[in-house]
Amino acid sequence: MEFFTVRNLTMKFGGLVAVNDFDITLKKGEIVGLIGPNGAGKTTVFNMIAGYYAPTSGTIHFQGKLLNGKKANEITRSGVARTFQNIRLFTELTVVENVMIAYHCRLRSTFLGAALRLPLYRREEKQMYEGAMEFLREVELEDLSREQAGSLPYGMQRRLEIARALATGPQLLLLDEPAAGMNPNETQDLLQLILRLREKYRLTVFLIEHDMKFVMQLCERIQVLDYGTTIASGTPEEIQQNERVIEAYLGEG
Amino acid sequence: MDEHHRRNQIFSIIAVACLFLFLLSMHLYADDYQIRILNNIALFIILAVSYNLINGVTGQFSLEPNAFVAIGAYTSALLTLTPAEKQMAFIIEPIIWPLSVIHVPFFLSLIAAGVVTAFFGFLMGFPVFRVRGDYLAIVTLGFGEVVRVVANNTQTITNGPLGLKGLANYTNLWWSWGIAAFTVFYIARLVRSSYGMAMKAVKYDEAAAESIGINAFKHKMLAFTTSAFFEGIGGGLLAHLITTISPTLFTFFLTFNLLIMIVAGGLGSITGSVIAAVVITWGGEALRVVEEPIRLGFIEIPGIPGMRMVLFSLILVLVMIFARQGLMGTREFTWNGLFRKIRAWTHRTAKES
Ligand SMILES: Nc1ncnc2c1ncn2[C@@H]1O[C@H](COP(=O)(O)OP(=O)(O)OP(=O)(O)O)[C@@H](O)[C@H]1O
Ligand SMILES: [Mg+2]
Repeated sequence: MEFFTVRNLTMKFGGLVAVNDFDITLKKGEIVGLIGPNGAGKTTVFNMIAGYYAPTSGTIHFQGKLLNGKKANEITRSGVARTFQNIRLFTELTVVENVMIAYHCRLRSTFLGAALRLPLYRREEKQMYEGAMEFLREVELEDLSREQAGSLPYGMQRRLEIARALATGPQLLLLDEPAAGMNPNETQDLLQLILRLREKYRLTVFLIEHDMKFVMQLCERIQVLDYGTTIASGTPEEIQQNERVIEAYLGEG
Repeated sequence: MDEHHRRNQIFSIIAVACLFLFLLSMHLYADDYQIRILNNIALFIILAVSYNLINGVTGQFSLEPNAFVAIGAYTSALLTLTPAEKQMAFIIEPIIWPLSVIHVPFFLSLIAAGVVTAFFGFLMGFPVFRVRGDYLAIVTLGFGEVVRVVANNTQTITNGPLGLKGLANYTNLWWSWGIAAFTVFYIARLVRSSYGMAMKAVKYDEAAAESIGINAFKHKMLAFTTSAFFEGIGGGLLAHLITTISPTLFTFFLTFNLLIMIVAGGLGSITGSVIAAVVITWGGEALRVVEEPIRLGFIEIPGIPGMRMVLFSLILVLVMIFARQGLMGTREFTWNGLFRKIRAWTHRTAKES
């Protein structure tokens, strides 16, 4: 059984074909990159996988199960978590609350049990808090756990969003431009972080990124989109030498 | 997680005891008018806090409380009236079976009011939240009118425009404040639990909430039906406070009052809703003077009925312009917060002297 397969995925917005016949297969534990010029359709691919857009056609299978037609929250609970290109934290809540909430979908306490703080809920709340702190330690934000999430600098918000996604207990992690807005040092830390998290939580990572150095260093395979169509896929070395890729990027600038 | 847990518990018990002693002294010494105001305050606390759960905490702007209160009031009233009383009251057409024979104690009728109202909340919320939240305000506004029209025309159930009269005056300080305390306690805890956090997540950013596995639809439904449950119980209390109910009682005016309360108190703050319910209900009584003729020396200003409404609307407009967050924003009262404030204050005054 394939871990994750996408076949003939197409998304049309009116007359615009944002993504055309997109195919990809991910093996468990891989780190794969999705690159391409602005507006190529990368985020649209993520939005379809994560259940935010209903594909015009095509199929998405995760661990043998069809994801098409499922709601975003169901897809997350089945083990596919994501982050957003334009960070979407709950800025008014604290840092630790942002991560704690991500445990809610795994809560066993009932609505009544939680409101009445029955023993099971109190145990679960403790686990939630400790688990959230664990993930914050992982992304080096535990000292800021009581700060308002919106008050953190950009780079930290990106890491917090990753911690929040991790707390849902995913097997496949979709990262949409995780290094955007980071300085070179932060980007290097992020690279190490992603490698570490992959080992520790046995993750498969599928990421979109414009920082080529970052992508080439981190990813084992890369797929390139241009105007919604896949123009190349292969190892970082192959991609760097690919004529069509060079053209697409030169054409852009 | 909280080192002051014990201390806070003790203070909470003391606070409840103080409330009890206050109510006891009012029960013994206050006149009927004062008691009625106190009952009204408790009732509006119940209604405002539960309305805030869906509008403030979960951020789904809706306009249905008058409908829910009506359903609760009728349910409870029809259950506490004796079969003989019902036979007497329904003079145009007899009441249908089995309502004609059911007769239950007050407390059970309140529970039934809550459950029946929650059921209606579920029926209404399901299609609306399934499709798109944007229509919620319109649909719930319409629902309030539909309930009134139905109440007016289902002669064999609601007795139509005649309404239900001569209900027992069961709602006393103990019922109203006991249930108000429970409502606040329950909803405050709910909001603090992870279900409450999930509801807030839906308010702040539904897409982000879904991305961490929160079923936005389910949590809106939970908030809405819980809100309906308590609004329904509030309706039952109301019916047995004023002892006469008819369709004209449950106009949008009631919803509008509650809306002012939750906005002025701070959308999403239980504490704010409680404070606003107390101040506005009490202030509303005090403001009755503006609807009475006023003599200023030689000039006599005639009383203008509805003047209070104008003032209330003005309050709402001013809050919207100058204090969008309301009194409390989304903050809540906590003992820890109070003690922090006191410490900071004593610290400051010690420094100054
Ligand atoms: N909801 C939508 N409705 C209409 N058009 C859309 C929608 N979402 C995306 N598009 C269009 O689809 C195309 C692909 O957009 P997408 O966001 O997937 O690009 P991207 O590769 O992520 O670009 P970037 O690198 O700038 O983030 C763009 O032309 C965009 O305008
Ligand atoms: Mg994008």
